[in-house]
Amino acid sequence: MAAAAIARGLDAAFARIAGTSAMSVDPPLPHPDLVAAIPRLRRYARVLTGDATRADDLVQETLARGWEKRRLWAAGTDLRAWLFTIMHNVFVNQRATNMRDAQNVSLDGDGESGTAWQLPVRAPQQAHVELVEVLRELSRLPREQREVLVLAAVEEMRYEEIAAVLAIPVGTVMSRLSRARDKLRRAVNEPRTDAPAPLKIVR
Amino acid sequence: MTPATDDDLHAYADGQLPEARRPAFEQAIARDPGLAAQVAEVRRQNASLRDVLDGWLAEPVPQRLLDAARPPARGAGWRRLLAPIAASAATLVIGLAGGWYARDAALERAGLPTTFPRQAALTHALYAADANRPVEIWAAEEKRLANWLTRRLGFPVHAPDLNSAGYALVGGRLVAGSERPTALFMYENAAKNRLTLQARKPPPGADDTAFRYAIEDGVGVYYWIDDNCAYALSGTLDRAQLLAIGRMVYAELAEKK
Repeated sequence: MAAAAIARGLDAAFARIAGTSAMSVDPPLPHPDLVAAIPRLRRYARVLTGDATRADDLVQETLARGWEKRRLWAAGTDLRAWLFTIMHNVFVNQRATNMRDAQNVSLDGDGESGTAWQLPVRAPQQAHVELVEVLRELSRLPREQREVLVLAAVEEMRYEEIAAVLAIPVGTVMSRLSRARDKLRRAVNEPRTDAPAPLKIVR
Repeated sequence: MTPATDDDLHAYADGQLPEARRPAFEQAIARDPGLAAQVAEVRRQNASLRDVLDGWLAEPVPQRLLDAARPPARGAGWRRLLAPIAASAATLVIGLAGGWYARDAALERAGLPTTFPRQAALTHALYAADANRPVEIWAAEEKRLANWLTRRLGFPVHAPDLNSAGYALVGGRLVAGSERPTALFMYENAAKNRLTLQARKPPPGADDTAFRYAIEDGVGVYYWIDDNCAYALSGTLDRAQLLAIGRMVYAELAEKK
């Protein structure tokens, strides 16, 4: 039994060294690739939920769903895009459930605690102020625009991929992207002085 | 000729404009400084978004997510209980290979950033494979690239000339290091083989080192610290070729001081 576990570990290690997946039959999802995708899934989950804890719950649910639906993943296709699609669906379904549950409707209408919008501890120290500004204004974009912007600008996904992940037409991706960029540019260039942002800086 | 659309602008700035439409758009940029400024603005915005959000990738991954990434196979319960025992047994019994397993477990917990050479190799693999936008600033603007990176890193950096080894500068970008921002310069030879040189500030108190070599996921990396700067040269060349270029980089950088 221990030998089997060792063998599995070695498989994974060798797969990593060779840059391929040795685990082709069962389980069909390449574990190293799955692990490697986690930081990106967490990041996107934070952008979606605006809440650090809910983001990790969402990632956990996404990974569980991924294993459940593993037969639907076509080996060799982009695992990341597939996981992002699952995450989007899980998120949309959870929101629909929460909307029906009056107790979960918070004052800002979207249940965002803002705990996710923390400047990374390891963010470049130079231009700190500018980065804080960008993060705050990103958090203020409508979620539909925020998700498209992050997928295009940060994840560097192709527009067609984004359309598939979000289940919207490419034309909608483009119009949201254009509005998001425009709004963010204006906001960063002309800082507003009203309501405090849901942003905490970790130092 | 159809005029440049808003969609073209975004696609061009994101490196996604189809080849067929690119020349027309580039002509439009040449004619219209306003359009060129818009492209630059979108790219600047992309870069600052990545600067902000790439830092999140470096955060440690919670154990519950690593567990969720494991196959939920039958007997998953006892397997999880035995995993640490298996890992240590592997380390004891089969030395090197077991070491890989334990090391990978440690890497998983640490999130993306790891050792400098590993990070350099991952970054190399990520950007060298990118056909559309391997770099943020192209070699045509080498001076601006060096100025920008110098400003962001807080110490002077420039791209060494590797033409005599057959490698021309493609351009460069800023990447999120595990502790500090890292400058990346990319080179390409006639066979489209790419090399990257990455530079960043070493941890405080680090002394100069000799060349060290590592292979990470099939990418060879020579790394060293010289005059308070850590360098990593990565590529899929064989070790001797990579070392020869490493020496060239070293000599060139030493000369410029």
